[in-house]
Amino acid sequence: MNAPASTNRIVDFPVKPEARPYLDAFEGGVARDVETEPGSIARHRRRGLARFAETGFPSRRSESWRYLDLRPLARDPLLPAQAPSARVLRAMDEHLTGLLLPGKGPRLVIVDGYFAAEFSSLDMPAGIWFGTISAALAERPELIDELDTEIPGDGEHPFAALNTAFFADGYVLKIAPGVALDDPIEIIHLGSGATGSFHTRSLITSGEGSRASVLEVYAGEGRYWRNDVVAIRLADGAELARTAIVEESNEAVHTGQIDATLGEAARFAGFALVLGGRTVRHEASVAMAGENARCRLDGAFVVSGRDEANIVTTVDHRVPGGQTRELIKGVAAGRGHGAFQGRLIVREDAQKTDAHQLSRNLLIGARAAIDTKPQLEIYADDVKCSHGASIGDLDEAALFYLEARGIPAGEARHMLIDGFLREVVETVDDFATRTHLLRRLAGRLSNLEE
Amino acid sequence: MMLEITNLHARLADGREILRGIDLAVAAGEVHAIMGPNGSGKSTLAAVLAGRAGYEVTEGGVRYQGHDLLAMPADERAREGVFLAFQYPVEIPGVNNTYFLRAAVNAQRRHRGEPELDAGQFLRIVRAKLKLLDIGDDLLQRAVNVGFSGGEKKRNEIFQMAILEPKLAILDETDSGLDIDALRTVARGVNGLRAPDRAIVIITHYQRLLDHVEPDHVHVLQDGRIVQSGDKGLAAELEERGYGTFDEAAGEPA
Repeated sequence: MNAPASTNRIVDFPVKPEARPYLDAFEGGVARDVETEPGSIARHRRRGLARFAETGFPSRRSESWRYLDLRPLARDPLLPAQAPSARVLRAMDEHLTGLLLPGKGPRLVIVDGYFAAEFSSLDMPAGIWFGTISAALAERPELIDELDTEIPGDGEHPFAALNTAFFADGYVLKIAPGVALDDPIEIIHLGSGATGSFHTRSLITSGEGSRASVLEVYAGEGRYWRNDVVAIRLADGAELARTAIVEESNEAVHTGQIDATLGEAARFAGFALVLGGRTVRHEASVAMAGENARCRLDGAFVVSGRDEANIVTTVDHRVPGGQTRELIKGVAAGRGHGAFQGRLIVREDAQKTDAHQLSRNLLIGARAAIDTKPQLEIYADDVKCSHGASIGDLDEAALFYLEARGIPAGEARHMLIDGFLREVVETVDDFATRTHLLRRLAGRLSNLEE
Repeated sequence: MMLEITNLHARLADGREILRGIDLAVAAGEVHAIMGPNGSGKSTLAAVLAGRAGYEVTEGGVRYQGHDLLAMPADERAREGVFLAFQYPVEIPGVNNTYFLRAAVNAQRRHRGEPELDAGQFLRIVRAKLKLLDIGDDLLQRAVNVGFSGGEKKRNEIFQMAILEPKLAILDETDSGLDIDALRTVARGVNGLRAPDRAIVIITHYQRLLDHVEPDHVHVLQDGRIVQSGDKGLAAELEERGYGTFDEAAGEPA
């Protein structure tokens, strides 16, 4: 299938029309650069591109993508962006205000998909390697071998394949066995206002018995498409909390995917707060590969205007004794459309699995819409699994209670919406992260119904 | 006059008429008790006065400090000093009790053109009132009424009343579901709020709260009308005889 490197033709089969501009972009520029990359990266890129060329954009006919309208993106391609100029980077300073945690913890800033050293501080205690993919390629190529491992389900995820073809940079966080880090590590993904797509590929590996937490922030300006893939590997007994806050611009497309594998008795807490973006899909896939692993996947989305947001989760229990807890809340106002799709798979060998999934949603106004689709697939017989879903309006009795205390109707509605979402945000363990999320949430809700 | 109810008729959305001609005048400084059996219209009266949706006033009116009370939305009534202690306080997950109370106090202060209180100033006021009602600090940090016992919910209502210092307080079955200790605490809270510029209307089925909060006037509500009024002696009489003796009077045309 691969064309010889000497030609600029990548594939020799019919290409989906929406994929054509991306192929041309690859042949026109990226292909030359990647030949200088070490190891097997170039081969992976070509394979990813070929796969994308074959599948094209996901269709709404595919169950997993049915709630998202990607036609505008297919009509009007957003090709991989160039690295931002020094002038553009200097202007980023003010954009970072409000997005950062207080203090000077370890921080990596990525602008338009490229590392921005001037805003980053990568000093880490012994036992932790934290840096960009490009630095890892130069200094620690063995880390990249782990990144090479194929993202499962690439075939179902054309955008992960596209990401493989085009990722400009990303980060690698490797935590040695037994190392515990109290302060959260921040990764800030910014869009400078450049029109294009930003592809980042990252890798977190947590060694045996290690403990750490990561906050990833996605924000930007203007029209762009962020396509982000993070692979997470937790060794036995490792603990990791990964929190994402998506505050993209109101013209932006965001497709983010994390793919986590948990070893024996490992603990993973994934949290996603989706507050902004025209079209957002945040997906988490977790493989419970070691016995007695524990997984929490919580989060919330807020959509208004004509925003669309999907939170999609899959937890695959493959071995006995796993525990999963999921709480996803949604608020849709205006003509916003939100969706939650959650699959819980319990395979034949995964006896004594204890999994619970809950989706709760609030509709504000008559034109907003929410779809929720919790899904249990159970093939083992000795398990404790449940799921639930609700979609409702604001509680009239609660509204009256607040109004009867003199709180104006608008403020009362705001308090109830905030309270509804706060309940799930407050499950985030790290204090600084939680405080930050609550502040960003309050800012988002202050103009929800305008 | 603090509150003047004239020939008040109200019905539910389904058309059932619940209030059928209530007349009542409450002056500042007075405590009135409105007693009556289940279904007599007590809670409907409280709901109509507080401005709850779902009731239609078909006749008559209510004046509060000379203004047309029914013309004001519920939140404005509250900011003007009307307080309803709920029979069933509502649980509001995710909304912190202190945050909620400060929002209420500041809404009232804005309404009066007074500066808002910051968290520190508010906390000082709160601490002083906590003792009065035997309420623990932890209650303040919890979500509004969530996981509160029945007694805690009722005490929280009176606590809110103490913080908001209303002109007209309406207590809807505040005594129901309280053990004797909680009843005494609540009564202490209510008595502490008796003041020459404040009126209190206690709506109750039983006399027990009235043993601790002595009313100036007692009214018997039956089938949507006040069928008898008297002093505190009437409450004791009712406790002894029950409400059955008033059936006849209620049957007469208004």
